[in-house]
Amino acid sequence: MGRMQDFKRFMSFVGKEFNHILRDTRTLMVLIVMPVVMIVLFGFALSTEIKDVKVAVYDPSRDAATSRLISQIDASEYFTVTAFLDGEDGVLEAFRSNSADIALVFEDNFYHRAVHDSDGRLQIIVDGSNTNIGSMAVFYVSSIVSSFQKELAQEAALNQAAAGGSSSSAEDVQPVQIHTSTRMMYNPQMKSAFNFVPGVMGMILMLVCAMMTSVSIVREKERGTMEVLLVSPVKPFSVILAKAIPYFVVSAFILLIVLCLSVFLIKVPISGSLMWVVLVSLLFILVSLSIGILISTLVAKQEVAILISGMVLMLPTMLLSGMLFPIESMPKVLQWISYCVPAKWYIDSIKVMMIQGLGIRYCLDAVLILCGFLTVITGLSVFKFKDRL
Amino acid sequence: MYSVEADNLIKRYGSNEALRGVSFRVSEGEIFGIIGPDGAGKTSIFRILTTLILPDGGSARVLGLDVVQDYHGIRRRVGYMPGRFSLYQDLSVEENLRFFATLFGTTIEENYDLVKDIYSYLEPFRKRKAGALSGGMKQKLALSCALIHRPDVLFLDEPTTGVDPVSRKEFWTMLRRLREQGLSIVVSTPYMDEATLCDRIALIRKGIFLDTDTPADIISKFTLPLLAVSGPHMPSLLRDIRRIPQVFSCFAFGDTHHAVMRPSDLSLEAQINLLNTSLHATGHSDLSIRPIRPNVEDCYMYLDTLEERS
Amino acid sequence: MSRGENTRKRIRELLGYTDDGFLREDEVIRTEGLTKCFGDFTAVDHISFSVNKGEIFGFLGANGAGKTTAMKMLCGLSKPTDGRAVVAGYDLHFNSDVKRLKKVIGYMSQKFSLYEDLSVWENIRLFGGIYGMKDRDIAEKTDELLLRLGLTEQRDRMVRDLPLGWKQKLAFSVAIFHEPRIVFLDEPTGGVDPATRRGFWEMIYDAAERGITVFVTTHYMDEAEYCNRVSIMVDGRIEALDSPAALKQRYGASGMDEVFRMLAGRAKREE
Repeated sequence: MGRMQDFKRFMSFVGKEFNHILRDTRTLMVLIVMPVVMIVLFGFALSTEIKDVKVAVYDPSRDAATSRLISQIDASEYFTVTAFLDGEDGVLEAFRSNSADIALVFEDNFYHRAVHDSDGRLQIIVDGSNTNIGSMAVFYVSSIVSSFQKELAQEAALNQAAAGGSSSSAEDVQPVQIHTSTRMMYNPQMKSAFNFVPGVMGMILMLVCAMMTSVSIVREKERGTMEVLLVSPVKPFSVILAKAIPYFVVSAFILLIVLCLSVFLIKVPISGSLMWVVLVSLLFILVSLSIGILISTLVAKQEVAILISGMVLMLPTMLLSGMLFPIESMPKVLQWISYCVPAKWYIDSIKVMMIQGLGIRYCLDAVLILCGFLTVITGLSVFKFKDRL
Repeated sequence: MYSVEADNLIKRYGSNEALRGVSFRVSEGEIFGIIGPDGAGKTSIFRILTTLILPDGGSARVLGLDVVQDYHGIRRRVGYMPGRFSLYQDLSVEENLRFFATLFGTTIEENYDLVKDIYSYLEPFRKRKAGALSGGMKQKLALSCALIHRPDVLFLDEPTTGVDPVSRKEFWTMLRRLREQGLSIVVSTPYMDEATLCDRIALIRKGIFLDTDTPADIISKFTLPLLAVSGPHMPSLLRDIRRIPQVFSCFAFGDTHHAVMRPSDLSLEAQINLLNTSLHATGHSDLSIRPIRPNVEDCYMYLDTLEERS
Repeated sequence: MSRGENTRKRIRELLGYTDDGFLREDEVIRTEGLTKCFGDFTAVDHISFSVNKGEIFGFLGANGAGKTTAMKMLCGLSKPTDGRAVVAGYDLHFNSDVKRLKKVIGYMSQKFSLYEDLSVWENIRLFGGIYGMKDRDIAEKTDELLLRLGLTEQRDRMVRDLPLGWKQKLAFSVAIFHEPRIVFLDEPTGGVDPATRRGFWEMIYDAAERGITVFVTTHYMDEAEYCNRVSIMVDGRIEALDSPAALKQRYGASGMDEVFRMLAGRAKREE
């Protein structure tokens, strides 16, 4: 049989698969609407204004400056001071009991050091598990502190003038300085909510590719059409391959939608190379497709295929990919397991390129691991594929 | 040369023996029927012959090709219609047929003459989705799809199950016509009345063939006297006939009961009289008792009862 | 008479339906002009017939003739578009009647009958419970039923492990376990061997003798001969209704399959 004929046969397969997909309008709508809804939801969650952030204070110096600063912060609409702590150790407890979102830790003898040594130190500690509040709160506290610093400087200048010390010029006066330092607890890398975007991308692509491909192959087994296809001269694996192509196209389309929404709606900066973001995403789509095919060679019922791709793939993808919880703070065992989740590597590399704005060489290892996954899983499914029932 | 040769086929699923040594030959241009109920092993035979599963024992050749070694060659030359009509429900009639044609590297136009008779029924609904067709139409479409590549042997696994009598009749007419074009056909059915439409039949029960022969010869081997009994009160009549010691077995057949008499030296008339007297004694009157020729179903049930009691 | 019954009667009177003797003394089903449309398509087209008490009534027709739709209406699963039907004294026009109707009918089809992953007695208990039988009655009748079917030893076996013939017998027994007035059987004997099929019909006869009306569809024409009366549906209408003997005589046929082919062969409805 000629090569032309083989190609024609293959294309008629692909055409048939497109028909299946396009005629099942309901499923197609779900596939397209779901990522849109997820991205939009996360977008709204991101843009929420902060208000009444709970502040815990440790103030060992208890002088005029600290109490003024504290009352200024408390007076602002963004913050409410909820607790005065007895020691630095109290911060952890305040975060755990959810009685504070951020903590301000003054040093001893704050006023004196700020005015006379130009080195008043104030530490802002943020509960990093609440990524939404973190960066905004730090920003607002810093701005209140800097205006307070100006106030102090003016007062110090006035005091000096009143003391009649005209001998010393302004240059000689030690400037008032407050040094703030920020510390994150629980989430030291200060992962912003933008992290959800790569997470959602990984999840959606995994869902569409793995679940839809495996279900559509298993459906043929269930309906008995696979029997007829097997009893025909067509190479069984080309049947499977023909199924993968339309889902590849659909996934690529969904990728496009997600990227557009992220950039234009929630304004996630794609600071790295767009080309590499797309190429790595396509690589991940291939990995997911191969997982779907592998599942389909192992099960005989559609429900089982859905269950496996839903439970066995989705849950680890959500929980162990760093999308919801930082992997760094997980127990070692879970960290090892997370290395086996392809979505983790995909999400890692997309974060590097999209949000940190670094080039492909900073996530080359993750990309290579994805290539490894692709080879192994495809190999396994070819090996597991039976051309009998 | 035989189109199909099966020797002592054995198939097990776990501890369940689906086939316990099945042998038969199908000649070229013959309709070979495998007759028996669900779970008797019919589908296993079809799946072995179409190279979908491997036998656990025995061997089989289709068109001279071994089902284990040469399965690629077999797949190119057979047509197969599995038990459920394996069509794509969301594709139209025409799309289904065209797809299966392309699958075998041919076109509808190339082999149209072969399916013309059957496809002509479907032509008015070519744009309709296969899922929206009735049972009879689905069956015809599935047959067209199995034929479109001009196979040398056709395997039809229960093509008439769940289809109404009119469509069933039409279907068999089509099969007879295909046979005239030289096609060998292996077909299974649970309907005993379809047996006489085959050239040769095998009666299958629990993984073994009870008998393999032409329908006429199977019937001629049934030598026991067979009486059709009817009367005003059929249910109790059945029970009372079964209590008569000279009766081997008795089953309801529509408007009469068919009683198989045990072998004896009595003449037929004497046996009828015996039955009549015994039944009168249990309170039945206005009885009609007459000798009849057995049909395939009588034969199957006789052989089945023999097996059951042995 | 309970208050509910009274209210029901009042509503009927207000709507112009009285217990007007529409359903005769010896009848259990009566329909007049019963119709079901799906959009433009008339699946069941003004059928009028009646079924007598204790009768085995064969309901035949080609695929797509409207049998299933008609049967669904009579079981109260689908509301008629037009016409009137009274089943076991309940008028299908009233939702309250349909609810009561379901307690006095049994249903069995080839496709769904028993839960494969429940044991034999669990299935019986379940269906007994569904029809509101008391636990003690269920226990008593279960033992009796298992004994009669010869399944006492198998009571804890999963239904999926039973041979098909036994499953069907059990399914039928479960369908009439609550002593319904009518049992609807939708192609009950598909795929079983001839002897089991006959065993099954013997059970149907027993049920009919106990006064349960049997309403059955089948594709086996020899089974039509077992029925007291047979109706043949063609294109949504009842083309013939009589005893098998009378039908054969009228159409000069030797068997019911011939009668069926003559009538169903006239079908015009595209499938």
